[in-house]
Amino acid sequence: MKPRLTVVSQKAAPDVRSPILEVRSLTKVFRSAHAPVKVLADIDIAAAAGELICILGPSGCGKSTLLKILSGFIRPSAGEMRLNNRPITRPGPDRCVVFQEDALFPWLTVAENIAFGLRGKMKDRKAARQEVDRFLSLVGLTAYRDYLPREISGGMKQRVALARVLILQPQVLLMDEPFASLDALAREEMQNLLLSLWDQLSHTILFVTHDVVEAATLADRILVMDKNPGHICAEIPVTPDRPRRQDEPGFIRFCRTLHDGLRGGFSERNFPGWP
Amino acid sequence: MMNGTTIKSGLSGLLPWILPALFFLTWIIVSGTGLAPTYLLPHPETIGRAGVAYIFGDPDQGAYAGRFLSDARASLFRVLMGFSLAALLGIPLGILSGRTMVVRRLLSAFVNGLRAVPGICWLPLALVWFGIGLKTTIFLVALAAFFPIYLNAAAGARSVDPLLLQAGAMMGVRRLRGTFAILLPAAMPSIMTGLRLGLGIAWAYLVLGELTGVPDGLGAVIMDARMLGRIDIIVVGIILIAVMGRISDLILKSALRQLFKSARRLT
Ligand SMILES: Nc1ncnc2c1ncn2[C@@H]1O[C@H](COP(=O)(O)OP(=O)(O)O)[C@@H](O)[C@H]1O
Ligand SMILES: [Mg+2]
Repeated sequence: MKPRLTVVSQKAAPDVRSPILEVRSLTKVFRSAHAPVKVLADIDIAAAAGELICILGPSGCGKSTLLKILSGFIRPSAGEMRLNNRPITRPGPDRCVVFQEDALFPWLTVAENIAFGLRGKMKDRKAARQEVDRFLSLVGLTAYRDYLPREISGGMKQRVALARVLILQPQVLLMDEPFASLDALAREEMQNLLLSLWDQLSHTILFVTHDVVEAATLADRILVMDKNPGHICAEIPVTPDRPRRQDEPGFIRFCRTLHDGLRGGFSERNFPGWP
Repeated sequence: MMNGTTIKSGLSGLLPWILPALFFLTWIIVSGTGLAPTYLLPHPETIGRAGVAYIFGDPDQGAYAGRFLSDARASLFRVLMGFSLAALLGIPLGILSGRTMVVRRLLSAFVNGLRAVPGICWLPLALVWFGIGLKTTIFLVALAAFFPIYLNAAAGARSVDPLLLQAGAMMGVRRLRGTFAILLPAAMPSIMTGLRLGLGIAWAYLVLGELTGVPDGLGAVIMDARMLGRIDIIVVGIILIAVMGRISDLILKSALRQLFKSARRLT
């Protein structure tokens, strides 16, 4: 296991001077039948190791497109992306994705889904099995190891989706509104699970959401996006300790300002933040 | 209430048997009362006796007695050869054309053109090319079974959820393993449908191939019996072909389910 980074639990600002993931002037233009559409314009991101960044923005602002570019499924029109100083060119297990939709293999059981990515990587069968067991218990699905995806709930599916990529020890975890289709209770459970896993495994996470409360609950830093074309309009550090209570006045106030900001546009790039 | 439902479920259990029972009843009445002459429609009992003799009888008991095993073996071999050939070509080509634009465009006009030719038209050509017998039959069976196998494999491969392939790619799965670990299982329900349709058609074309004068096989028996006016044997042959087709379908289905998780869990 990787050593736990102090950044994760202490309030010290993440070390952005030597980012693990670096995005510079990223631009994406889709060539549709009528006219080219600029979906992303001059996106800059620098993520420190172990940082949890939320990308918050209204639907249609290009969040999914940004994540697809970072994961290597589509090419950017211009700009640079580097992971550990190496340019990103194609999909790979160093940048794993948790999709919004159910993307589990329906013919594999929970345990087999989690083991899928390991098969090419770990030759030792017994060690691989132990690793699968460890991640099954980390996401609380040991009792469901032999169930098929269609036999478990949406929340459990997302746990499997999380476990099958965490087991590959990716450098960066890319999550595209992974809990948006869950009910409120399951979503809160998943947020807590994600935070506890992140605390144990200290991955760098880029978490896309359109939910203000979710961003305020999870993030070290929030990048707010706006549309036409998609760009980052504000960068907000969020420093209070976790777990953050959602009924606390400070939390509610912060969510409201975020919400208003999303509606009316942020006047300055450096928003006051919280606290 | 309870009673009502049991009666209902009893009735719906009977439902599929009503038409066959009526059919048999009509048959017995028609041939028993002499409404239709027995040389056109023998009594079911005659046919039963002919069937027993054909399957279990000693070869010296009569013209067709005891021939079933060797006929069935010959027919089964031809079906298996033709069907395997069709599957061996149809599945890989289908998957390729389902996933690759170039291959699709290369193949589709050609395949559709061939498909427009009624299968039976190939018979004279096949006879010229391969002569009477094994090769012609296998050629016809393979040709006919190829199309459903190929088309279903292509449709299955084309409609695989791209998200599954993306999920594989981000977990570091490269092309070859992706084909066998993701594409093939995801397309398995379609592939299975194609194989089962193909096998059904294989039996149909087997009979066509064997009608041309091969010495053995179930189709040959039917043709032979027609010449000798043994309508009872014709009917026995028809029933046995139907039964063997059905059994081979069941075997194919359970074999696929044994071999592939995806066939077991997705269908
Ligand atoms: N392949 C594509 N071709 C053309 N336009 C696209 C394509 N994918 C996304 N878009 C457009 O890009 C914009 C951003 O989409 P998306 O990244 O899905 O936004 P979000 O995830 O923030 O809701 C939308 O207006 C969408 O219509
Ligand atoms: Mg989206």
